[in-house]
Amino acid sequence: MPLSADVWAMMLFVVVSFWGVAGWALVRTMRQEDRKVELLESQRELDTYSPKALDDLREWIEAHPDDPYAADAREKYNECVETLRTTDRHFYGWSDERIARLEKL
Amino acid sequence: MSSDALKTARGQWGSRFGFLMAMIGAMVGVGNIWRFPYVAGENGGGAFILAYLLILFVIAAPGLIAEVALGRYTEKGVIGAFRDVVGPGGLVGLGVVVLLVNVALMSYYSPLVGWTLYYAAHSFLFTFTSAAFRPEPFLDGFLANPALTIAMHTIVMALVAGVLLFGIREGVERVVVVAVPALVLSLAAITVRAVTLPGADEGLAFTFGVRWEFLTFSSTWIAALGQALFSTGLGWGIALTVGSYLRKYDDVPLGGGIFTAIGESSVAVLAAFAIFPIVFAYGLAPDTGATLAFVTLPQVFSEMAAGWIWAILFFVGFFLAAFTSAIVITEVAVTTVSEETRLSRRQTVLAVCGLIWLLGLPSALSADVLDFADFVFGNWGLPLATLCIIGVIGWKLGPERLRVLSVNQNAGVYVGRWWNGVVKYVVPAIMLFIMAYFAYDSFGDPRMIAGMVVLVSFPLAGYAVMRYLEGGEEPGPSGKAAGGDD
Repeated sequence: MPLSADVWAMMLFVVVSFWGVAGWALVRTMRQEDRKVELLESQRELDTYSPKALDDLREWIEAHPDDPYAADAREKYNECVETLRTTDRHFYGWSDERIARLEKL
Repeated sequence: MSSDALKTARGQWGSRFGFLMAMIGAMVGVGNIWRFPYVAGENGGGAFILAYLLILFVIAAPGLIAEVALGRYTEKGVIGAFRDVVGPGGLVGLGVVVLLVNVALMSYYSPLVGWTLYYAAHSFLFTFTSAAFRPEPFLDGFLANPALTIAMHTIVMALVAGVLLFGIREGVERVVVVAVPALVLSLAAITVRAVTLPGADEGLAFTFGVRWEFLTFSSTWIAALGQALFSTGLGWGIALTVGSYLRKYDDVPLGGGIFTAIGESSVAVLAAFAIFPIVFAYGLAPDTGATLAFVTLPQVFSEMAAGWIWAILFFVGFFLAAFTSAIVITEVAVTTVSEETRLSRRQTVLAVCGLIWLLGLPSALSADVLDFADFVFGNWGLPLATLCIIGVIGWKLGPERLRVLSVNQNAGVYVGRWWNGVVKYVVPAIMLFIMAYFAYDSFGDPRMIAGMVVLVSFPLAGYAVMRYLEGGEEPGPSGKAAGGDD
């Protein structure tokens, strides 16, 4: 019994959406790992948040200044800002202008 | 990261690949191999796969991200992580519930791993390609021999203990980085043979043929939900424990969420390509459930050219899938007990594995007990554990806190605010629905009554134990979460 076109299409879709996505995620995360190791070996520190994620963190701290986790959040925020200021190469896509605008909390 | 400067006193994964393989090894179990292809075929084939994929992305991956992130943030096992969130006192008992469910799960899973070990050993003796081989008497003979079933259960727990004694990096990681790729290669090799068999088309059409009308059936979505949530092990404490050994600069959402959810399901998809063409090519019944691997498939190896090779590849792969899960499931209890007691890791491994071995004896002696325990804990115990973990993250810690503090820290992909609603509302609602559905579906059945006993007694016991041990203290410095409101 020859396979119908929809079965072929579904098998192709399954291979791409499962093995394709899993393979993409594996390659991407392993490459990111290599990049992190390279940066850590050359400058010992790494920016820990992307611009968008750091914006979210700052907004949350400003909205919840008395939260029991606020001190920890501020520490993480300030650590990232400090690292961005003291390192030349960054893991995430930070521009110099954007780093210059950052202030510690 | 390989830099020694980044090591801490607590164990950590030695490599990113080790963490990823531990997650996949834990989540890929026997159900991926025999259950997924059949459930897909029975529920609309391609239509089911579409529903399943959607649920993986919308529910399972976000849930796994939450669980791994909590483990990474607290750097503790299940009880310690719960204490960090809710503070010392009775509510830490929810962590005890997760611990109890894991021990119970392993108590009947270990004898089942023993079955796969027995079959893997016999594949090397060419039993399945001998002229005298008869699959049903072979399985019946094994199950009727308590010395054999207990011996297999004992060997499995001894092997698990042997791996865990070496710790996270030297034990678990060293095994999974070899075993998981070996499992995938085994299935891939079988797939090449299977899809070239005369008549293989029918098996592919059964699993991958698209019957769109099934997307309108509630049963399709319930089956997809059950397969996605049970297959990914969401909320069982495994992802939390594996995540607690992540290093400072490690990502959570890309590896712990997307790769784990889609990667482990990819193994199930590969199993569909590998097994069902064989089932249909030889005119076997596809609906035999767990016996598909132990009775149905073994009878075709003698008819295949070089059948002994395919038997070895299949049963070794089957054993590896089960064994790597057993290692990581047991690690959940080992991590927690070693943190909560004065026992060394070595003493903890021996105590936990000894306890599981003891509790597993009834399931090793009787397949009926194993089936009963599987039904009770699969339908109510594991969803209860998921509810405890996701409930604490969603309603006590608060998903937004976890998202800004841990999920998006060092993340390989950015996770937006949409994730909060999934963790807080969608996953708990679905787990409650699944438990209620199973209770309704088997109302009055002794297994349903046993499930209700688990649902009530485990949280009560956990609460009472931790309230007694920790004196019912109010949340202190470690129990910082004031509430789950974001």
